[in-house]
Amino acid sequence: MPANKKYLTKSPLQRWLKITAGFFGGYAVMISFSVFLSVFMDRQHVLATGMVLGYVLWAILLLLAFLAKSAWKIWLIYLSLTALFALPYLVGA
Amino acid sequence: MNNRNYNIYFHTHTISGIIVAMVLYVIFFAGSFSFFKNEISAWQQGESVDKHGSAGFPYAMVLDSLDRQYDLHGRELYLYLYPNSLNTYVYMGPSLDTLHNKQAGESTYFYYNLADKQGRSYSEAYDLGEFLYRLHFLAQLNYVPIPIGYPFGYVVAGLVSFLFLFALITGLLLHWDKIIANFYLFRPWAKLKTLWTDLHTVLGVIGFPYQFVYAVTGIILIVNTVYLAPIGELLYGGEEDKVYEDLGFEVATDAVFLDKPISEIPDIPYLVKQTEQRWGESPLKRVTVKHYGDEGMQVILQSDADTRRSFSGSGYVVYDARGEIVKEKSPLAGSSYMDVMKSLVYRLHYGDYGGLFLKIVYFTLGIMGCVVIASGMVIWLVARDKNSVPAHKRRFNYWLVNIFLGICLSMFPVTGFTFIVVKTSQAVNETFIYQTCFYSWLALSLYFIARRDISRTNREALLLGAVMALLVPVSNGLYSANWPWQTLAAGELDIFFLDLFWVAVAIIAFISYWKVKLHQLRAARSH
Repeated sequence: MPANKKYLTKSPLQRWLKITAGFFGGYAVMISFSVFLSVFMDRQHVLATGMVLGYVLWAILLLLAFLAKSAWKIWLIYLSLTALFALPYLVGA
Repeated sequence: MNNRNYNIYFHTHTISGIIVAMVLYVIFFAGSFSFFKNEISAWQQGESVDKHGSAGFPYAMVLDSLDRQYDLHGRELYLYLYPNSLNTYVYMGPSLDTLHNKQAGESTYFYYNLADKQGRSYSEAYDLGEFLYRLHFLAQLNYVPIPIGYPFGYVVAGLVSFLFLFALITGLLLHWDKIIANFYLFRPWAKLKTLWTDLHTVLGVIGFPYQFVYAVTGIILIVNTVYLAPIGELLYGGEEDKVYEDLGFEVATDAVFLDKPISEIPDIPYLVKQTEQRWGESPLKRVTVKHYGDEGMQVILQSDADTRRSFSGSGYVVYDARGEIVKEKSPLAGSSYMDVMKSLVYRLHYGDYGGLFLKIVYFTLGIMGCVVIASGMVIWLVARDKNSVPAHKRRFNYWLVNIFLGICLSMFPVTGFTFIVVKTSQAVNETFIYQTCFYSWLALSLYFIARRDISRTNREALLLGAVMALLVPVSNGLYSANWPWQTLAAGELDIFFLDLFWVAVAIIAFISYWKVKLHQLRAARSH
């Protein structure tokens, strides 16, 4: 049988926001996290790690967006995380 | 597991799965055959790498003939050598010496074939191995004129791989609580519906690590620019060369064109031989010559570690105009972190670190992936085929799965058919292979779709595929006089292997057909 609809997002806007938060927001978090790592790590090591594990992280962030109760909240969380991870880079540059 | 999470995993797994299913099947099927790309090429040409490969690439001869035809002075040259392949890609760039070199502006590239010692254009050198290899990352879709700043087929392949990774993660979480039990769940003699469900779950769980590796490495190989572009911009200040040096694709050199001809050109064949010996027979993958015949000339050799000695590792050596080593990194002298990561991506994706046996295992796991995908489509249909679902939705589901399976399952007979047609035809090039494969694929899919009988599609595809598979070695015997016993006796093991492989495929397909047929008869009797 298909999944029980009781637990799924009903509002089209919420659903659309969750998909975009997971895909675009998740991508922004993943890239900014790589940049954040470059504060402690050699950039070549960031590159080698990120180009493999970055995609896995991104896919997990996409899933987490669907697990979130509110799409607004997950957008807010992802945007804050992006800003937070980008902070040392922005300050340094 | 909490009910909400379970149902979200379930739903996202279903939706991402049904979106990518059809394309992913094509990728898995063509990709599985691509493990034998070199064997397929040798089979088609009727020339064995085992026979012609040992002599190695004739550097002196090719360089001499290029020099006579174009005057190599001041030019840059690239040679890409592919292990176990008859073809070597040769590129000759324009010369910087525009004063003395009359043909300075000209450049050329071709594939040099070890068997007939001819240079061919890409389209002429195009063969069935290349076709299936490129089909598995949808290169043929690049011709679709949709301007999105990146080849269209690659974007589709990349998105499909990413959603595939997503479907794998959600699928694993979905089955997490009963993952151990799932290993023992296979009930092939139960009802048809549980058979599909078990196939999907059990093969999915067993094949999970393999499929996970393919999802991740597949994304990296096809659309790594998604990661490299922003990182190159942010961490490398947009200096692309530096990114590629850090990735180990390019060797950083300080070669400058000095515009002073040298009397004696360094002996490139000797440098190659000497390097290969020093690096314990690690095969060269690329030879670069900068500023040929100039004081500032450099010869750069790049190689991957011999996989029998080290799983990871890559090396390079740079020689100057006198044949002296400028700098060197042996592929066997320990791997950097980047080497390890890159080798994980490439070796695990290509399955080229354990000989033919490993490739057969990989092929089997790849076809198991196809079974997981096809059974997933059937589950989608069967799970929604009940009275509580509105009639129009049920009609749509049947319509969709009928089309998906028609296209997917016809791929097996069509691949066998293309092998046979290619073997029985004289002049085979890119266009010919496209037309043979795509038109026959279209025709058979339309027939299956029009029949609107999924279980019949399954049976007919298996039977037709088995017959085609059996005819592949026959066509090789009749049209190339390469019967398996002849190729075996001549030591042409790659060609022999491919024929044997198709016989094995035929046997397995016949057995599967027979089992499905029996199942159907038994089901009909019990009704």
